[in-house]
Amino acid sequence: MNVVTDPAKLLLERMLRLLRWRVWVQEKLQPSEWQITLLWAGFAGFLGALSSLVFQALAEGAHQLLTGSNEGVVESMKQLPWWAVLALPAMGGLLAGIVLMLGKHLTKGQSSTDYMEAISIGSGHVPIRASLVKSTAALFSIGSGGSIGREGPMVQLAAVMASFIGRWRQFTPPQLRLMVACGAAAGIASAYNAPIAGSFFVAEIILGTIAMESLGPLAVSAVVAAMTVRVLTSEAQLYKVPEFRLSSPLEMPAYIALGVIAGILAPWFLRSLKRAEAIFIATKLPLVARMTLGGLIVGALAIQVPEVCGNGYSVVVTILKGQVLWTTLLLFVACKWLATASSFGSGAPGGVFTPSLFMGAGAGFLFGQAVHAIWPGGAVDPRAFALVGMGAFLSAVSHAPVMAVIMLFEMTLSYDIILPLMLCSVVAYYTAKGLEGRSLYSEVLKKKAAEVSSDASFGRGHVAELMKGKPPTLSRNAHFAEIARMFLATRVNNLYVTDEDERFLGAVSLHDIKPYLGEPELAELVIANDILREEFPRVGPESTLSEALGRFLNFEAERLPVVDPSGKLLGSLSKGDLLLALVEMRKKPLVV
Amino acid sequence: MNSPIELIASPDAVVTDLRVNSGEEAIRALHQRLRAATPEVRDADQFMHDLLERAALSSVCIADDVALPHARTTAVGRIVLAVARTATPVLFDAEHPRVRLVFLIGTPKAAVSEYLQTVAALSRMLKNATTRAALLGAPTEAEFRAVLSRAQLR
Repeated sequence: MNVVTDPAKLLLERMLRLLRWRVWVQEKLQPSEWQITLLWAGFAGFLGALSSLVFQALAEGAHQLLTGSNEGVVESMKQLPWWAVLALPAMGGLLAGIVLMLGKHLTKGQSSTDYMEAISIGSGHVPIRASLVKSTAALFSIGSGGSIGREGPMVQLAAVMASFIGRWRQFTPPQLRLMVACGAAAGIASAYNAPIAGSFFVAEIILGTIAMESLGPLAVSAVVAAMTVRVLTSEAQLYKVPEFRLSSPLEMPAYIALGVIAGILAPWFLRSLKRAEAIFIATKLPLVARMTLGGLIVGALAIQVPEVCGNGYSVVVTILKGQVLWTTLLLFVACKWLATASSFGSGAPGGVFTPSLFMGAGAGFLFGQAVHAIWPGGAVDPRAFALVGMGAFLSAVSHAPVMAVIMLFEMTLSYDIILPLMLCSVVAYYTAKGLEGRSLYSEVLKKKAAEVSSDASFGRGHVAELMKGKPPTLSRNAHFAEIARMFLATRVNNLYVTDEDERFLGAVSLHDIKPYLGEPELAELVIANDILREEFPRVGPESTLSEALGRFLNFEAERLPVVDPSGKLLGSLSKGDLLLALVEMRKKPLVV
Repeated sequence: MNSPIELIASPDAVVTDLRVNSGEEAIRALHQRLRAATPEVRDADQFMHDLLERAALSSVCIADDVALPHARTTAVGRIVLAVARTATPVLFDAEHPRVRLVFLIGTPKAAVSEYLQTVAALSRMLKNATTRAALLGAPTEAEFRAVLSRAQLR
């Protein structure tokens, strides 16, 4: 027609051009909400890795501060005079206890910090302050040589980061839970440098499903985390092990026997930890005193056997190298057991994952030595038994054989041992499960089972739980320019049109206006009312998830409006959230 | 149903010397013609109501001298179109006081994309200065119709 000079028109044309671009990109790449979720999962992985590294550095700092040595926990304990060895863990317990006690005031009313609970039963909301308090306390118990793993707090922190991202982005509960799960996977991936095990651990144990809807984001998060750690540090694998191989099929019976032994020992180990906790609580001492006492016991043991301190990593390395006598190792294992029970039982925050690896390595090596002594052909290299024992013990403790096998493989990068490792882990799993219904993580899962059966409304699932509030809306006389602007700003494909009383009138679909984005003349005439689709499907807040799914099946949309019986628009339901929630519902609670 | 292009090439009703004094009169007059021209206007009162309601909501003009009163309504069975050239310039609203060409459109509720196609085709046609001049200058209704159909079939 004529040259357009009106600035409003120019702006409109530019906006329409942008919108045409957006539609083009969308059609070529089709970024759905899933892909967006993957991006955030990657970000959670990155932050999780950073928080893990920071925690590790702080734990080493605390250790240096307390011992004046920057070597490993066991090494520095060996250098200290006996009274310092005795006092140090006690002091760490005291400090950790004080931190926890002071922290109580800060974190009043916050829900459980456990990321597993947040994922499996909660809203995905991991309280930040409470977690920070716990992690700070963990710094002291770990830095002072407590017999406890540093990996637990690392995973916790990574989960907090992810939960924080999710809340910042206002994710819906299923998405938020998935986000926290991604954080946990990132934490494990960075703590053990084991991205596959990280994603499978969370999928197998916590989510209880390996559906691609959740495994995909977990894998992305774990990979990003492992990459970050590898770039920022020079670690390759956690345990450098000599080359092991299955020397002959004749070794298999011995491995099966090791599986049975690990399967018997693991539940004992767990039960003893619980018993220790009960004993400490029965003393009726305040938490600070309990934790000091726990530290004192560890210190007393460490005077003779400094190897009990820390998560046991360095001792495992020694065992795997075969540089330890079986009599000495027997002493180590017994003392470590006692020390871990004291640390864990007294309430020291930290994980028992790595101590479990220690127990497994010890038991495996001792058993291998014994078989080797009687019948050398049945156990050619006892060190290989130590490695397999770690996997078997882990499998029995966690009730997650798949994760245990993968994790062992990733930590050692030794594939030759995979056959006995798999067999032994599975045998250990069945033995342990037969003896004891619960695992390291069953407390949480049991709570979950109770939750699911008691809270029927959650079990059945209603749209209202998954709904995201306050969707962007248009009035019916919104002009094309406003519609275009909102499509650009919100990334949705359908904009909802409401009247003055927020009643839902219909939706304007990007698909409808797509062919006309090149015609700004239309923009003057067309208003939302002209193109709104009144028949746009909607769901009620009380609809069940399967009803909602039915609506999605008959209609191509990423989201549907949630409308109450009076016609008021309450929010919107995303197909991604719905599918995620259905996946969550399909899986049965692991413990009955 | 006719495609939007076919519909514009051959509207349900055409008036080449509409004598009215206001936009609303123009709408009423064309509504009357449409009602007489096609049984697809199933509920005349409802259609009228929807047309006026839409005109009240926001301007229906796409150029200084072109108005497209329209309604998406349950009252029509298919897209209907009536075209008029007014004898004298008509005031539609404060910003459009000199309207000469009026295209009145009725669209079934669900036909969102047909509606957009029609409006887009009309606006494309009217962008062309020659077509516009030809429409304004056509001496007879037959010639007027011929311009419309030439413009669409081109």
